[in-house]
Amino acid sequence: MTNHADFIVIGAGPGGYACAFRAADLGRKVVLVDPRATLGGVCLNEGCIPSKALLHAAQVIREARDMSEGWGITFGSPKIDLDALRARKDKVVGALTGGLTGLAARRKVQTVRGTATFTGANSLDIDGEAWTFDQAVIAVGSSPVQLPGWPEDGRIWDSTAALELREVPDHLAIVGGGIIGLEMATVYSALGAQVTVVELSDQIATGADPDAVRILHAALEAHDVTLHTATKVSAVKAKAKAIELTCEGSFEGTLNAGAVIQSVGRRSNGPLVLPEKAGVDIDARGIIAVDQSCRTNVDGIFAIGDVTGNPMLAHRATHQGHVAAEVACGHAAALDTDLIPSVAYTNPEMAWVGQTAAQAKADGRAHKVASFPWAASGRNLASGGGDGLSKLVYCPDTHRLLGATIIGSNAGELLAECTLAIEMGATLEDLALSVHAHPTVSETIAFAAERALGTLTDL
Amino acid sequence: MTEIIAAPSVRSLAREKGIDIEKLARDLGRTTIAREDLSGGAPAPSQNNNAAYWDVDHAQYGPVTEEPMSRFAMVAAGNLGAANAAIPQVTHHDRADGSAIETLRSELKTEAQARGVKLTALAFQVKALACALRDFPRFNASLSPEGKTLFLKGYVHIGIAVDTVHGLMVPVIRDADKKGLWQIAAEIGDLASRAQSRKVGPDEMGGASMTITNLGGIGGTAFTPIVNPPELAILGLTRSEITPVWDGESFRPVPMIPLDLSYDHRVINGADAARFVSHLAGLLGEPRRMMI
Repeated sequence: MTNHADFIVIGAGPGGYACAFRAADLGRKVVLVDPRATLGGVCLNEGCIPSKALLHAAQVIREARDMSEGWGITFGSPKIDLDALRARKDKVVGALTGGLTGLAARRKVQTVRGTATFTGANSLDIDGEAWTFDQAVIAVGSSPVQLPGWPEDGRIWDSTAALELREVPDHLAIVGGGIIGLEMATVYSALGAQVTVVELSDQIATGADPDAVRILHAALEAHDVTLHTATKVSAVKAKAKAIELTCEGSFEGTLNAGAVIQSVGRRSNGPLVLPEKAGVDIDARGIIAVDQSCRTNVDGIFAIGDVTGNPMLAHRATHQGHVAAEVACGHAAALDTDLIPSVAYTNPEMAWVGQTAAQAKADGRAHKVASFPWAASGRNLASGGGDGLSKLVYCPDTHRLLGATIIGSNAGELLAECTLAIEMGATLEDLALSVHAHPTVSETIAFAAERALGTLTDL
Repeated sequence: MTEIIAAPSVRSLAREKGIDIEKLARDLGRTTIAREDLSGGAPAPSQNNNAAYWDVDHAQYGPVTEEPMSRFAMVAAGNLGAANAAIPQVTHHDRADGSAIETLRSELKTEAQARGVKLTALAFQVKALACALRDFPRFNASLSPEGKTLFLKGYVHIGIAVDTVHGLMVPVIRDADKKGLWQIAAEIGDLASRAQSRKVGPDEMGGASMTITNLGGIGGTAFTPIVNPPELAILGLTRSEITPVWDGESFRPVPMIPLDLSYDHRVINGADAARFVSHLAGLLGEPRRMMI
């Protein structure tokens, strides 16, 4: 007997479940298929959410320690019960994935546990069972890139393994200084590991504003994280006592680490669903090309999220999921924006959206920058915040905001104002004339705008 | 990133309605699109704005076919209705002797061909209007929205109404008072041909001191154009006609150009309008005076 799906979503990550739920809300009979026991994909199970739980623990450890330096409040050394911490993280994940199961049931979305592969333009195989469908959405996400030529060893982790919190090694090496690597450095250094990050390019968090990255770089070093930029790992040996990494470049030498995290990027899982059997085009990197309405080259088959390429971020996938569901239901929808915010949940947080000055320059776009240092923010100082910066990129003719980078505590939350401002076509005047509550760090965004306009009285 | 500013909700609504925002912005000569722009412009605030007049089943009287109004036409319709309702307009009629311009044009024909410029009567009319606006600064002005302030303009830009297959477009000749006839003629040729293919940029429209609408190439003896706000007046021209003119001893055949000036009576009174048009007719009759 063949099963039939009116609308099937392959992958229950933040893109897939959003798509399935939206389609159900629009009146479709929806099947949501995923090999995991719980819904939520990488984001909820082994990505965004568990990492934030651990980062919160790291922040509390740091803040408690910082209180002894000049605040006159001294706590004892933290006693870390890894099992309890892991259990708490798993409880947060469990609450959220359980919540999703409830949301799916309420919408009468049929969830199927299994691995789906295409067998034709309207048919699938799910763990040996044949399915046909009218419309399908490919939302199978991405996996951490495994560096070639590395030995098989339980002490070599990817981000998923790192979040399992197996142990805190004395010395942890992290290969790849992007957002994921830096977040892991933040967690494990707070938990007591001596952390070394090795990054191939000249700067950690490649692509982010260099002024903000300088602040992050200094903060990580102040937390005893060693950063080797412009450095390549040329050889890896799994020895009895440690993993030995041989480095070349601006740092020459060997690192002996109790564990190594590989965080050199993520690769699309697109090939795993055998899209070619349905006639869906897929490129050598496993990316499935879609238009703004998330349509692939095959009528009735959509793709969303990481399988559609960069930026591989949950919030982009969620928006694409809604678009795909609406388009599949006959609505005119599209993700017509390039404004996908990026947040590194490090300590301090770093967040950016739109164009950096370097991107504007590369695009040949007229631009200027204005910034406000958090050293002059009353709220930041009173809250024990360290160095921070709010930096705006704007058009000198129209004063329209083109991009923003914020580094400091809760930068990811503050960034939302800038994203909305750019979407609405807001100018520096709009930001400066909107009344920001005092004292808040959100004022730094209005102050940066005022600084550009010459109306600032707080600096 | 698109150069057109529109809120995400407006972009979404436009997509639902099948409206191309970039194209709409080009049509409207703007860089910002608001929700209202997607519904065909503001309706004319008229007391007779009773839609029931148009709610008629025309087919009961004979066969009809339907054709949707273009976005462009709907926006123009809204603007014209609003202008007509908001401005108390009077149209003043006069005539100018076109002989000297015709003589000059035929004398300069060879040079014009050599320069590759079409020296049209419209070029003279633009130049004459620009000179007249210099001489009558209160005609080169705009009212503030609440009508409490008159902004007198220190520049003279002349709008040219161009009839295109898409509808009416009004590109603007900047600083027409400072430019020579050759340059004005060349700019008219360039703007008019680009208007046909809708390749006139937003910065090449708007900000006119006054607009000229010339129907001379088509015909007519007089009409009452509608003022294009925030301008104070609009100059209409129809076809020149050979008219017997008494020169004191005999009738002479003279090509007379009909001039129709519609003006905002809140700012301009009838006597001023008569003086302005009479002065303009003098400049057109003796084009050498424009050069002085």
